[in-house]
Amino acid sequence: MTRGRDGGRRIDGSAGTLERWAAILGGTALGFAGARRGSWALAALGGGLFLAGAAGVPLSSPLRQAALPALRREPTTTQANVTIAVPADKLFRHWRNVRHLAALFPHLDAVEILSDMESRWKAHGPGGVPVVWNSRLDKVRENELITWHTLEGADLPHRGTVLFRPAPGGRGTEVSLTLAYHPPGGAGGDAVSRLFGAAPEQQAREALRRLKRIMEVGALPTIDGQPSGRAERGGAEARLREVTG
Amino acid sequence: MRALCWNGVNDLRVERVPDPRILGPQDAIIKVGLSSVCGSDLHLIGGHVPTMRAGDIIGHEFLGEVVEKGPEVTRLNRGDRVITVSIIGCGKCWHCQQEEFSLCDNSNPQPAFEESAYGHCTAGIFGYSHAFGGYAGSHAEYIRVPFADTNCFRVPEGVTDEQAVFVSDAVPTGYMAADMGNIKPGDVVAVWGCGGVGQMAMKSAFLLGAERVIGIDRFPDRLRAAQMKAGAETLDYSRVDIYDALLAMTGGRGPDVCIDAVGMEADSGGPANRGLAIEDLYDRSKQALRLESDRPAVLRQMIQCCRKGGTLSIVGVYGGLIDKFPMGAAMNKALTLRMGQQHGQRYVKRLFAHIEKGDLDPSYLLTHKWALDDAPQGYRMFKDKADDCMRVVFTP
Repeated sequence: MTRGRDGGRRIDGSAGTLERWAAILGGTALGFAGARRGSWALAALGGGLFLAGAAGVPLSSPLRQAALPALRREPTTTQANVTIAVPADKLFRHWRNVRHLAALFPHLDAVEILSDMESRWKAHGPGGVPVVWNSRLDKVRENELITWHTLEGADLPHRGTVLFRPAPGGRGTEVSLTLAYHPPGGAGGDAVSRLFGAAPEQQAREALRRLKRIMEVGALPTIDGQPSGRAERGGAEARLREVTG
Repeated sequence: MRALCWNGVNDLRVERVPDPRILGPQDAIIKVGLSSVCGSDLHLIGGHVPTMRAGDIIGHEFLGEVVEKGPEVTRLNRGDRVITVSIIGCGKCWHCQQEEFSLCDNSNPQPAFEESAYGHCTAGIFGYSHAFGGYAGSHAEYIRVPFADTNCFRVPEGVTDEQAVFVSDAVPTGYMAADMGNIKPGDVVAVWGCGGVGQMAMKSAFLLGAERVIGIDRFPDRLRAAQMKAGAETLDYSRVDIYDALLAMTGGRGPDVCIDAVGMEADSGGPANRGLAIEDLYDRSKQALRLESDRPAVLRQMIQCCRKGGTLSIVGVYGGLIDKFPMGAAMNKALTLRMGQQHGQRYVKRLFAHIEKGDLDPSYLLTHKWALDDAPQGYRMFKDKADDCMRVVFTP
């Protein structure tokens, strides 16, 4: 399991020299192997490794943390930020109607409104595992801030904050989304934790990107359903080609 | 329909694929009339831009007719003859509102690669790898255009198809290169690369007030076209030392504006540029070992040649990392570096007006018109620059 950015809990500062160079060189080799094969996943992985190495991001410590169960009980915090060319009141109103949020998180199946402050959420984890929680709003400051937390018995206990503040120069609104959660233990806990835990930072970022696209252009851009030479070739052969280049 | 698919490095095939459909309310379907090759396609075909997938339809410079439109498309009608800017803007984000369409926040549906490699994602581009959105390209009978109101432009009646097709990409890219140079009366502009974009950069430099324009290449037909069609003086880098020649032509000052219309696969050296032969060997070895993705020979040469306080304008495409960038020279000479993929939507109307007035006729770039079925051979010819080929345009 990969962890997101752990606020202030980084164990050993930054990556060691050897680790950095291993990441830079390994990343370069992978990136170009990916480029040569036309495999973007490989190239992106290589690019990411390269950048992680160059920036000194510790790669081995998250692995160490994963191997040490005692450390996994602390809450994980992740934050994402985006600027949306829409006034804060419009974004606030959109988010305040929690039904709209299902469109931001692809694993959400339904959001049911129980009262002005409480809602019930249904999602599916990896392999279709149902995940259910009730959520209550804590603070609602008009056009500025919404915070919430999950109630007792939630499959995915977490706290969340979304903050809206005007961006300078007429650029619209800066939106920050912060999620803090405990990876749950117990039976099925691993599958559930993967719902947010696989790449929480990326999930938060993608949620904000979807919000931006919905609010700015009214839809998510897509290439699903467009033609390519893959569809006609079909089946296993095409997939194999993509994998092996 | 039939479409030209990329299947692997240097492996292009015309195949039967499904017809495109409207996938979003702001989409239009264009029946392609003309679709041109572009130098930046060669980087894709050669495997220098990652994230191509076998089966991808390439091509991004095209003209056609609107045959279908989504419910939210208001500015276009069926039957309109249009060009589409190769780089896709959503029209709504802050960057699009600043007319920086190639920096669009929203048009790239697959932002992960660019975000990890570049820090941010930029606009989607037709037929230009999955890093740039994975949109199907125009070397096909039909193409789907997202955000059609922003990206399609009706061609004025007095403009022919052969003139208009290049307003998709080569003309605005060249024009933007000159525009970024902030050319002032009396300026001398040097343009590296006399292909389609370079030719348009030279013409545009004159339109924006340059006094002299110097085109640099080694292919005689391109140098001839730069002279005869774009009105430039020319230098053959395989025969003269470019630094010496440019300084001799500019009273020792160097050009005021240097335009890179070559990009990542720059060829350097030749017997007249002995120093560069070592540089070329260095870059090619590192590229072969995958330790450097792009060969920046033109960039280095421009920094050396440009006058103190001058401007480098870069529209040749770079993909990743370059080595031995002469930052000391750039900083101490107080050079301005400007660059980017074209913001074509900003320029199209101005360019059509220039074409209608007769100040600009890009149709001479079209040296070969071939059937789409012959596209793989067309690309081979374009790549080898055989038969004085400037651009091959396919008719589906």
